[in-house]
Amino acid sequence: MEKINTLEKLNNMGKDMVGQIKKGHSPYFTTPLRSRGNIKFDKEEGVLKLGKKDEKRTFANVGQARKFMQTMAIAAKCKKFVEEELHTSIRGLYYQLKFSLGENLEEDLFSEQSESNPLIEDLEVALDVKREDFNLSTDRKGFVAGDMLIEDTFGGEKTVIDCGKQGRSGWSIPSDVDNGMKIKELNADYVLVVEKDAMWQRLNEDKYWKKQNCLLITPKGQASRGTRRLLRKLADKKLPIYVFTDCDAWGWYIYWAIKTGSMNLAYLGTEIAVPEARFIGVTMKDISDFDFLSKLTIKAKPVDIKRASEMIDYPWINRHKEWVNELKTVLRTKQKLEQDALQGPRLTFVGEYLAKKIANNDFLP
Amino acid sequence: MKNDDQFSDFKEHSVAEFFKKNRQMLGFSGKVRSLTTIVHEYVTNSLDAAEEAKILCDVTIKLEELDKETGHYKITAEDNGSGIPENLMGKALGQMLAGTKFHRYIQQRGQQGIGAAGVTMYSQITTGKTTKVTSGYRGKIIEAKLNIDFKTNKANVEILSKEEGDWHGLIIETEVKDVKYDKSVSGVYEYLKRTAIANPHTQITFIDPNNEVHIFPRSIEKIPPKPEEVKPHPLGMATNDLMDFAHRDVNKTLNQFFFETFSRMSNSKVKELRELLPHINFKKDPKKLEWSEADDIIRAFQKIKWIAPSVDGIYPIGEEQIRTSMINILEPEFLAVIERKPKIYRGGIPFIVEVGLGYGGNSGRNSSGDVSSSDVMRFGNRAPLLFDAGGCAINESVKSVDWKRYGLKSMKDAPITLMINISSVHIPYTGAGKQAIAMEQEIVDEVRFGIMEAARKMQAHIQSVVKTKERIHKKKAILRYIHQVSEDLSYLSNIASFEIENLLSKLIEEKYDTKKDEKELEEAMQNGGITNGEN
Repeated sequence: MEKINTLEKLNNMGKDMVGQIKKGHSPYFTTPLRSRGNIKFDKEEGVLKLGKKDEKRTFANVGQARKFMQTMAIAAKCKKFVEEELHTSIRGLYYQLKFSLGENLEEDLFSEQSESNPLIEDLEVALDVKREDFNLSTDRKGFVAGDMLIEDTFGGEKTVIDCGKQGRSGWSIPSDVDNGMKIKELNADYVLVVEKDAMWQRLNEDKYWKKQNCLLITPKGQASRGTRRLLRKLADKKLPIYVFTDCDAWGWYIYWAIKTGSMNLAYLGTEIAVPEARFIGVTMKDISDFDFLSKLTIKAKPVDIKRASEMIDYPWINRHKEWVNELKTVLRTKQKLEQDALQGPRLTFVGEYLAKKIANNDFLP
Repeated sequence: MKNDDQFSDFKEHSVAEFFKKNRQMLGFSGKVRSLTTIVHEYVTNSLDAAEEAKILCDVTIKLEELDKETGHYKITAEDNGSGIPENLMGKALGQMLAGTKFHRYIQQRGQQGIGAAGVTMYSQITTGKTTKVTSGYRGKIIEAKLNIDFKTNKANVEILSKEEGDWHGLIIETEVKDVKYDKSVSGVYEYLKRTAIANPHTQITFIDPNNEVHIFPRSIEKIPPKPEEVKPHPLGMATNDLMDFAHRDVNKTLNQFFFETFSRMSNSKVKELRELLPHINFKKDPKKLEWSEADDIIRAFQKIKWIAPSVDGIYPIGEEQIRTSMINILEPEFLAVIERKPKIYRGGIPFIVEVGLGYGGNSGRNSSGDVSSSDVMRFGNRAPLLFDAGGCAINESVKSVDWKRYGLKSMKDAPITLMINISSVHIPYTGAGKQAIAMEQEIVDEVRFGIMEAARKMQAHIQSVVKTKERIHKKKAILRYIHQVSEDLSYLSNIASFEIENLLSKLIEEKYDTKKDEKELEEAMQNGGITNGEN
């Protein structure tokens, strides 16, 4: 369905523009501003979204003509990818469009990938589709283990993948989990997102997902678009999403990007945010709850302190008093804690810790 | 005072003898300047004479270098005027202070310099040779050679031939030493070019020492109105002017001389004058007026309150004339001509300022090369002022304008020719050379206002040129993208690419219609120099 939709949207845009030209108007399209000033936090939905500020891109304006032309070139090329059912990366797209405008014109359609990347986003926003819908893929990142069957239609073939039978490596989350990808069967009580790959491997070896009947996912650091989109789809299936990261700037950032979406991807809004997500740890409170941890803390780096004080000011964070307390503790004690520290007493302690916290609903909002 | 010392011996010598000793007073100082002065004397004589006779003036100046080392040149000046009658030949060319222009007080170029007789004298003292004259006057063509008897200030005229003929005009051939020709700003070429600009009814031909012929063609077939005669205003007098007038006067007493000669001079004013100058005998023969007395009288003139002089005697060049001649000679990209309304300086002397501002084309100085620099052409009653620029009111005004306000980074490097003419029955020159105008505040301000008015129009022009160029540039920038955009829109919409391309081209061409701009530009140029006096 998505693909037909995308094709239709591209065709309609083309027809609209030619219609404008026939009426004697310069062809144009509008796209919401993606600058900081137009990024708003939607309290109701708990998601970062773009505001109402629009930007008009019109061909007859000399300052916009080149960008307009380039955007149309991207649109035409994407239409071709979708029609031909072929995928490429945004770098592949860039190379497809890097050619001279003409023999006597010393100008290339694109001369840098940094020119084409933001225009892809323009097009996504203008047509309200995701780049994955244009058959533009990004690097795979993130792994899943658990009782889930995926039906993957790719290269003209249909494959069923059992995420519970991927051994030590897990199923690698593709960049597009919408087109040609279907969750066929799902048997889990919740989803556990673990920041670090090493920790995921530890829990996978412990058969944590089997024991707890959950899906074990690692984004391997910051969650990719595909991982976030998959989490969104799992949350739509009413599975609770628990996130387990370090207690430091990077860990918090990973959590909040999953929960509310990020500034960079605010244009995708609810498509990619999981406001239902909860933060399971590691927290400052764990230090007092688990004695051994007090000896395993690390001195917070300036970036952690800076990040913590910034976060207190974010309206989507300081609306939760639990988070305000957490961050204030960090600022006071100037300590941080890695999830790996939970392997201090014994390697399997992590699993026990997580199971206990989840059972007690002991997490931050 | 130095002047007093210089002139204390005055009565012991003839006028000619005095000037022989003080030749720098005639403008004969510096080799280049001397040559320009000589050409100036002949050309102004020709112009004034032709104007009086209501003839469209043609002047030809030919310079031949006879010996480089001694600066020996032959100068030939020819005009198509009415010639000189035989009996006046000696007076006109061989007697100091006796040119026809001294008989009346009208606005004429010849306010400067000492006349053609000065050249005869200069030729005589540098080469010992006589000056040859050919005059065609009322059907008679006379050839003569002449020189000056310094003791008596009388001409020795030797008639060489007389014949009947229709040709009218004057040819003067003379040789001088100690001069030099170059193409500098103060040289003959520049002088003639500027004279041509201020006198568009005149055709000037110049044959330079390399035998190259330069023609400054006539651009207006209209003889300027003959200046009306007005009596001089006392405030406009200098000591030597007063001496000239007095010594040529036919009245019996100074009392009568004052009353008859000057405007605004009533009986009561003469009485006032007498009271201020008890040591001067007002019953004496004006011809016997002494230099020191004349000096005192001039000072007394300044102390008396006068009714302002009339503006009737002022003849500016005219907007159309300046426009035509500047276009003719500079072919500027833009031209503004401003004629200001009459103003007065020194409490009563009227003057009129005219400003022509040429931009682009051959405006500026090194217009043939890559480097351009601005050029300021100063004129006093149409006569080019080539020397002493530093001390001149006109240059002061040019400097005082903030050119950045008019879109020029630097006035010096801009392709601009500023032509500024000040017309008055009395122009306050700074020195005997009469090449710089005194910095009277009213004159400096008035010139400044005129320049600013012209500069505003120039700025509008520059802006519209920039705008048009930008527009053309923008259009080109967009047009180059049309093909690609049409291909892609065609692929998205399934509508033929050429159809989209045609429509889109038309749309952009219309939006960035530069023809419209070019038309606007033309209009702006035409409106560029509309005369409107007040600032």
